[in-house]
Amino acid sequence: MSATAAHTINVTINGRRTELRVSPNLSLLELLRTEAGGPEVKLGCGEGVCGTCTVLLDGEPVNSCLMFAVQADGCGITTVRGLAADGELHDLQQAFLDHAGSQCGFCTPGMLLTAKWYLDRHPDADREELRRAIAGNLCRCTGYTKILDSIEAYRDLPQDADGD
Amino acid sequence: MYAAAFDYLRASSWTEAVERLRELGDDAHVIAGGQSLVPMMILHFAAPSALIDIGSVEERTIELAGDTLALSALVRHVDLEHSDVVAEHAPMLTQAARQIGNVRVRQRGTIGGSLAHGEPAAELPCVLIAHGASVHALGPDGERRIAVNDLPIMQLVTSLGEGELITRVEVPTLTNGQGSCFIEMARRPGDFAMVNVAAIVTCDDGGTCTAARLALGAVGGRPVDASSAAGALTGHAIDEESSEAVGRAVAAEAQVTPSSHASAEYRREMVGVLVARALRGAAADAERRRNGERAAAAG
Amino acid sequence: MATDTGRTKAREAPVDEAPVQAPPPARLPTGRTSPVPHRDFVEKVAGTLPYADDWGFPGMLHGVVVRARVPCALIASIDTSAAQEVPGVRAVLTAADIPHNAISEEASGLGIDQIVQPVLADERIRYDGEPVVAIAAETPGAALEAAGLVEVEYEDAEGAFTIDAALADGAPAVHPGGNRYITWRSAIGDVEEAMGRADHIIEETYQTPRVDHAYLEPESGVGWVDSDGVVTLRVSTQVIEHARQLADILQLPHSRVRVIAAYMGGGFGGKEDMTVEPYLAALVWKTRRPVRMVWERQDSLLARQKRHPFRMHYRTGVHNDGTIVAQDIKILGDAGAYPLLSSRVLFAGAVNSTGPYRCLNARVESTAVFTNTVPTSAFRGFGAMQVVFGYESQMDLIAQRLGLTPVQVRERNFVDRGDIRVTGEPIDTEPGTRECMHRALEELGEMSAPTNGGRVGRGFACSMQPYGRSMFFADRASCWIGLEQDGTMVIRAGVTDLGAGQAASLANIAGEILGVTVDRTSVHIGDSALTPLTGGTFATRQLYMSGNAAVKVAQLLRDKLTPVVCDLLGCEESELEWANNLVSVVGDRAHSVTMAELSRTAEARDIMPYVHDTFHAETGDFDPATGRGRTYPDYTHGCHAVDAEVDERTGEVRILKYVAVHDVGRAIDMQRVVGQIQGAVAQGIGYAMSEEMEIDEGVMSSTLFANYLIPTSLDLPDINAIGLELYLGKGPFGARGIGEPPIGPCAPALARAVQDAIGIRMCRLPMTPERVLAAIRNGRDDSVPGAGKDGA
Repeated sequence: MSATAAHTINVTINGRRTELRVSPNLSLLELLRTEAGGPEVKLGCGEGVCGTCTVLLDGEPVNSCLMFAVQADGCGITTVRGLAADGELHDLQQAFLDHAGSQCGFCTPGMLLTAKWYLDRHPDADREELRRAIAGNLCRCTGYTKILDSIEAYRDLPQDADGD
Repeated sequence: MYAAAFDYLRASSWTEAVERLRELGDDAHVIAGGQSLVPMMILHFAAPSALIDIGSVEERTIELAGDTLALSALVRHVDLEHSDVVAEHAPMLTQAARQIGNVRVRQRGTIGGSLAHGEPAAELPCVLIAHGASVHALGPDGERRIAVNDLPIMQLVTSLGEGELITRVEVPTLTNGQGSCFIEMARRPGDFAMVNVAAIVTCDDGGTCTAARLALGAVGGRPVDASSAAGALTGHAIDEESSEAVGRAVAAEAQVTPSSHASAEYRREMVGVLVARALRGAAADAERRRNGERAAAAG
Repeated sequence: MATDTGRTKAREAPVDEAPVQAPPPARLPTGRTSPVPHRDFVEKVAGTLPYADDWGFPGMLHGVVVRARVPCALIASIDTSAAQEVPGVRAVLTAADIPHNAISEEASGLGIDQIVQPVLADERIRYDGEPVVAIAAETPGAALEAAGLVEVEYEDAEGAFTIDAALADGAPAVHPGGNRYITWRSAIGDVEEAMGRADHIIEETYQTPRVDHAYLEPESGVGWVDSDGVVTLRVSTQVIEHARQLADILQLPHSRVRVIAAYMGGGFGGKEDMTVEPYLAALVWKTRRPVRMVWERQDSLLARQKRHPFRMHYRTGVHNDGTIVAQDIKILGDAGAYPLLSSRVLFAGAVNSTGPYRCLNARVESTAVFTNTVPTSAFRGFGAMQVVFGYESQMDLIAQRLGLTPVQVRERNFVDRGDIRVTGEPIDTEPGTRECMHRALEELGEMSAPTNGGRVGRGFACSMQPYGRSMFFADRASCWIGLEQDGTMVIRAGVTDLGAGQAASLANIAGEILGVTVDRTSVHIGDSALTPLTGGTFATRQLYMSGNAAVKVAQLLRDKLTPVVCDLLGCEESELEWANNLVSVVGDRAHSVTMAELSRTAEARDIMPYVHDTFHAETGDFDPATGRGRTYPDYTHGCHAVDAEVDERTGEVRILKYVAVHDVGRAIDMQRVVGQIQGAVAQGIGYAMSEEMEIDEGVMSSTLFANYLIPTSLDLPDINAIGLELYLGKGPFGARGIGEPPIGPCAPALARAVQDAIGIRMCRLPMTPERVLAAIRNGRDDSVPGAGKDGA
């Protein structure tokens, strides 16, 4: 903790309301990885370029490495662990398993959140739109082909009564 | 990856923000999207003693008032990307916003922040100069209007005074007979630009150019108004020959420095290529808009 | 481009004296993908997999490395007093605090003297970013504050920052022995005589770049002293065997240091040498506290080892009909300031420099040169990939000179089984290069149309790249496989997993033989104290080595338990089927025993249901003095084909269509094979088109991730990757390694496509828009430094 005054913030992380005391210079990424128990959010570059720190802030993807936790006061945060429900993998996660969209897995949490966010808004996006949608999430292992295969497979799942 | 310690407070109005800045002094800074400021802090190029969060001082409004598009300084790049009003009346803002960084950067980054930061490769200042846009700035000495062309001085330095904040951006919209085109050259989509060109042309019914505005960015210490070189187009059709000639003229005069991925010579040559392409693109856009207007009027 | 249909009759291959060493017979895999994905992939999509930094202890300190920011200097003094005063700082280490301040490993495998690299610099700085001080503190902030207060006084020293500068007369010596670190020479036949007979000699110099691995997971780990006093590191590493080096550095017995490998977020050879390990171990040992260290991306780009830039001078003598009569090849690799694995990289470059082409008169000389720049070492492809650009570019230039097609000139020269390489050894498995070439071109189909007003060109390139370590390393891998009392299977192997399914493949392989399904298998990997050592994950050796070890051990266990089963079921061994967690009589599944029953029964009879054994790779001798002997155990052959569009006004190249075909022998998991090919291609495209570390007078300027241009999804088309199962290799079930080989052909295939589009051959990588435009302007590529200097 630094010498400057700590702030109390209220955030909702994957649906769970939490009150935390934070130093202003604590990044949202660091907060999620340490006190808020979310090591699934990664540090890859610290420049906002790689996408491994992606979280959804009030539903929109942001660089958690480029935000301070205090800026997120009052917000809802979704990490990849917010996708699964009742211990069951989300269909998108299952699609990544079925189509080998993950190799080392480091880009996967950010990639999943970005894909889910985009498809929720553009459920009929074609492959080239999806390619553009993930352009800000770097992957060094897959060459993106199987990532797009996975996302398309998820997009093409028949909609059931429960939605996703 | 750790920023030095600072005090943090949220302002609830522009006035409050300016007042706080005045109180806290030189080492205090405002933060909105933070996509330019925070990387500097965590890479230790900047260490403000206090951050005043202006992210919610007002609604992020985009309004059309007559021939002017008025934007809150807090309008984010993603808002520009998705606004129908902007796409209709100042489509270069849409084109440019789409190419800024990545989707996460666009979720947070603001037009005011981009203008105040003074990064020469930034897309929006270049577009706004072509439009002849201006900003409203609020400071300890009150409010004033600054032409966007008068804002940038050199890399990361603007003409904003101490404790002065951009609150509003006003953009003259495209009028009848006008078309525009923004082209950015970057090594990868979303990377820092190597060359930015923004062109607005006015053409009569016969396709003859009656006026042209041109702005060039990324190649020197600040984006510049290059419209004078485009004056040669007046009274002529914008075709390959005329546009390439303007491109060569702009390239010859431009202040160009080397960048991390390109020599100055290459960038200079690309200025010529992109200016020509942007002028032709703007002419084609003018034609499309004219046909669209006719169709709208007819239908 | 015309596709040749004829096939040049291969020269009669000499009859083998002895058959190829096949792996132990085993059932071939039936399904292509295990229906139940291995646990690590489930955890990756769920976000629950703990990487090296997803680990902690109460009271954990934070460690940082302080690095010099001068490229070459003498250290006059280091003052850490202010750093030590920062509240929360618990250790500030300099060279004097490291018990044995040396990273040394006899990398060549042949007893060639090694130059020692200090853990922390003592008398001099040899490259920009060299570590000088290590600090541990209670908080990251305190550690960084202390780092900023370290004062180092330098005295100027002259440095040599390029190969040309390092080889010039009177060049400043990076190390006392001079700047030529090691030279490998190999020759066969009589090159000068053959060149004299050649109808044409094609001569060219090629330059490849210094590139970064750019894995997304930074170098990271946590270390602690356990309750037995064992220094334990849990780190992102490809090699747990470094535990011994760490023990030497700390002057501890080898048994008192333990390295646990977390699943890596990418490695690609960049985590094959130690990264955080020595600093972490030293800080842990000094403080006796748990310590965490994560390198900042910018420091990683600055100072962590890169790929060797190669300058390759090729002189190839050919007959008018396109057959190669002689090859004279000189390679200079920039080793940077310390050797690391340079001797092996330049060796791999040398012995693979003639490619998949027959040549009985060849001479190659391959030298690692020291410069005062960031050390270079392992990176996917390891010397053998750089030379693909050399030999494939030569083939295209030969075709052009002789008026043949690129297909024809290759058909005339492809190696066959039995052909002798420059080292005098025969190729002892069947090469499928020809088939891969035809399949790749067929898959590419109709020429692509331009998308943006540019000129479209088509290119392809073939390659032959090794898998497995050089045979004189006497490579080995051990494995333990056993059944629990409930019939679930446990595998223990010291493999490290960098995301290519190393752990999963062991479960698949053992499961094929013992019939235990993946969901009832636990694989424990990467622990130098608890898992049998398998050697590191590099050299595309892991599947070959630990996979074969798993085959051997699983088969031994099956053999051991078979009498028990036969007794329980009252049948013969030949009637047994091991599948779906049962051993049953073929055709009568009801007549079966569960793995649980088998395990308990065996144990009751003192037949312990586990086996620990070792797979030994083929060995061979190599004489560095003559350059003759056995090198790599086998090779993977392939061909990539591509359509690309060149914007003639800007030099930008857009890749429109890409096909990559490799003969993989037998695929354990074809989906993973395809994924490996696609990933390697993506890296190969980055290497070919956009990646390059910018160093000027030794000062590194590519230190932002934003400025290091790895491909995004928009920079790549879909990669059509095809694994053919043509000719058996030497891996488990006849598999051939696929991790590295697909990275080689990308650059020459793209260079050919650009040549097809603009008529000019690019000889230097990356083919940036500026270089392509300059080539269009000048009518040739003038960008290779030092080109035209004979042998340099």
